[in-house]
Amino acid sequence: MSIANTLVPARDTRALLIKWIVGLLVPIAVFTFVWSGEAIINNALLSLLGTGNVALGISLFIQLAIFILILYATVIALAGYLVAADSGQRGMIALWIDILVFVLVPLLLVITQGLIIGLALCAIVWPLFFLVRRRFAKALHYTPPQPLQNLQILDAEQRAELMSRGIMGGFWFSVALAVVWLVADLIFYITGTLPTILLILAVIRTLILPVAGYFLGRLGGVIALRRTLAQKDNGNGESSTDRAGRRISKRRQLQELSTSHKREEARDLVPNDLPLRSTGAQRFYLILIVAFILFYPVIDPFLFSFGTDGRLAGYGDAGYYVILALGLNIVVGFAGLLDLGYVAFFAIGSYAWGIIGSTQLTNLLSLPPINPHLLSALFWPMIIGAALIAAFFGVLLGLPTLRLRGDYLAIVTLGFGEIVPIVFLELDKYTNGANGIVGVYSPAFPGANWLSATPYYYLILGLIVLTIFVNIRLRDSRLGRAWIAIREDEIAAASSGINLRNTKLLAFGAGAFFSGIAGAYHAAKLGGVSPDNFSLGDSIIFLAMVVIGGIGSIPGVIVGALAVYSINLFLLAQLDTLAADPSNPLFAVHNAIASVFPGFTFGNIRNLIFGVLLVVIMIFRPEGLIPSARRRRELHAAADEQVEVGALDVVPGAPGFEDEVRI
Amino acid sequence: MSVEQASEHSGGPLLELNKVTKYFGGLAAVQDLDLQVWPREIVSVIGPNGAGKTTVFNLITCLYRPTSGDIRLAERTLVGLSPDNVVRRGIARTFQNIRLFNNMTVLENVLVGQHTQLKANILGAVFHPPHVVHEEDEARRRAIELLSFFGSELIERQEEYVINLSYADKRRVEIARALASNPRLLLLDEPTAGMNEAETLEAVKYVRRLRDELRLTILLIEHKLTVTMGISDRISVLDYGRKIAEGLPEEVRRNEKVIEAYLGKGAKAEEQESVE
Repeated sequence: MSIANTLVPARDTRALLIKWIVGLLVPIAVFTFVWSGEAIINNALLSLLGTGNVALGISLFIQLAIFILILYATVIALAGYLVAADSGQRGMIALWIDILVFVLVPLLLVITQGLIIGLALCAIVWPLFFLVRRRFAKALHYTPPQPLQNLQILDAEQRAELMSRGIMGGFWFSVALAVVWLVADLIFYITGTLPTILLILAVIRTLILPVAGYFLGRLGGVIALRRTLAQKDNGNGESSTDRAGRRISKRRQLQELSTSHKREEARDLVPNDLPLRSTGAQRFYLILIVAFILFYPVIDPFLFSFGTDGRLAGYGDAGYYVILALGLNIVVGFAGLLDLGYVAFFAIGSYAWGIIGSTQLTNLLSLPPINPHLLSALFWPMIIGAALIAAFFGVLLGLPTLRLRGDYLAIVTLGFGEIVPIVFLELDKYTNGANGIVGVYSPAFPGANWLSATPYYYLILGLIVLTIFVNIRLRDSRLGRAWIAIREDEIAAASSGINLRNTKLLAFGAGAFFSGIAGAYHAAKLGGVSPDNFSLGDSIIFLAMVVIGGIGSIPGVIVGALAVYSINLFLLAQLDTLAADPSNPLFAVHNAIASVFPGFTFGNIRNLIFGVLLVVIMIFRPEGLIPSARRRRELHAAADEQVEVGALDVVPGAPGFEDEVRI
Repeated sequence: MSVEQASEHSGGPLLELNKVTKYFGGLAAVQDLDLQVWPREIVSVIGPNGAGKTTVFNLITCLYRPTSGDIRLAERTLVGLSPDNVVRRGIARTFQNIRLFNNMTVLENVLVGQHTQLKANILGAVFHPPHVVHEEDEARRRAIELLSFFGSELIERQEEYVINLSYADKRRVEIARALASNPRLLLLDEPTAGMNEAETLEAVKYVRRLRDELRLTILLIEHKLTVTMGISDRISVLDYGRKIAEGLPEEVRRNEKVIEAYLGKGAKAEEQESVE
């Protein structure tokens, strides 16, 4: 098949191309021209040419370049994949509305309001959108098509067609992008904001993009092809091997699976009515998110201008809440043991590094002070050390609770959460009591400046990745199955040979282990430990993170931790600052309330707002934001039968995503 | 293990209950019960509601501790063990009102059943050394093999959450889970409860196959007399916690005490004993 042939769209392909090129081009253009995409690229290029007007280091340039390459390459490949994967059942307008609501609106809100507030506003906009859409669907008597009707077995010809559509998607999207970009650059050049040298590069870019588009589109096509059902008698590659090594054709499997399972499977297949929501597309989103998180410290100044360090510090704090929530999820989510005193282990982890990582220990033992550099390097082994100490206490405090369940267990653990900080307060000979320990050393790492927030950002990122990895491994292991079995039915678990005592203690220990990691990070970041960092309120917040995110679901708990952190500790804490700014709408709200209740501040009702939010979330999503499959079944077992899949694409990972599936 | 096997060959009973008594408060649920189950035998325990049948199972599996008396498996006492150690000794059970892990898949349920057969500890779970990977693969293979005992139907539904299964399939998964611990003695608590005629017939067939193909010894609680009479080598009849008769199915059927216990009191309704 010659290149020329592959690139001429047939009539039905043309509609798909228009649908997706417009759908994807608008957001990427907004990012590039309205926001900072162009600025990032130009700065990277200028520093490459040595004529940069800002003193950018070479490592910064490399990071920027990698980010830009990943971003645009992923979007182009995604275009190829979407054109190939689309079954064409859904109309253009519906798709564009979805992209508007789920990509453009967040983008614009984040540009104008900042990352956290922007996303928080999205969380308000999206449910409203669902509400309106549902009303409309009802008013128009619209019934969404069943996705299962479109499960297609593809023969060799159709597969080739799919592939060429992928290539065309990538190619024509790149061409459109290149043209738009060139036109924009010409305008910039004429208005005098673009140096001549960059215009030359822009021309080169215009030539390279279509070629890159061809190959990236091919990549998208390959990914789409992987998810097709091929004819059974058409060779070997099509039948999937199940885990037991027995060969069952995928089609046969589908026929045998229950409807609920089929529905999940159908979302995974190509051609797909909802390609934006298919598992293939989710891989691309994952790449984009990972690239964004990884290079965030570098691109932040371009995206949000001043104040990078402060923002990074805030995100670093959010990070240790993620670790804490994931740790608590082992105890509460997997093993089903309601623990209200989780803050105790966090405190133990903090004090572990607080005492060793400062002059406290050497003073106590009246030893000569250790070289600060050595002490800083000691952080790395001690982060595991602190975790092991916390795990030890987790097991120790778990022991007396073994015979307790449910409410009784909660009360006893609640006691521990109160006792441990008090113990640290009263052991003032070792912990300086209420004054806490100050002068705790930060970690040592060659080349890192621990006075800025960036190293902490990457440190917590690394720790989170580690925590997620271990959590997934544990969940899918013999031990993880035993935990879930205990949660489901203790008697049946014991009668299946699970030692309840050891397994529960391991859950307490593993949960506490991660709070120890978070604690050591917390002490190092803060440079000190004080007993009033740890209160019952914190335990409740950790539990809220787990419950709101989705008990037992690892992605859910991560989202829950971030959501609770950004609402409670970021957004609500900032309300008064925001209200002090006359240009902010909150200013008027504040004045109106203050005229009725003199002396009113948002700080006074902060907990009230947070509490009301929790209640609202729990009423509308009792299973959490991103529930685990098990949990969803548990809470919607009865309603599960009448499930219909929503007709409209929702971006996966968006808060309304699961909501749509459930209806 | 070798000691136990030796005793099996020496011809002693596999399971022996010796004057086992269990009081709940002042109420005697089981009183002076003697029971022997020989290797490769199918023994049924029958009796009217509240006769203490499930209590006997709970005593054998150490969910309860007997007030007095001794329970021995292959001549080693079980009294005082924890339930999981009973499984390690080679006793597996099912429950009268199916106790599966509802929000786990069919495969996961059977994998949990293999808990005692697997060795991976917490470090193995995190670091995945080759032997753990191998063990997991092997466990999945064996789980499928166990499910295949009931034909291909459960294999095709292995990724299904058990809460979505039919009643009969749930029973099958529960038995597969019990088999996964590689038991010598299998305790089945009303394996045909709630099943229709055809399903009951099939259940009878696989209980026999469990003995013949897997060489298991089976102790059975059963309400349906047709089932019991058909498959049991011996039958023990309980009434008010005491054994009132024991013997071959034919003997028991003609025993006057049994007839009185059953017909005189009309005990066909659902038994409401629960494990706790």
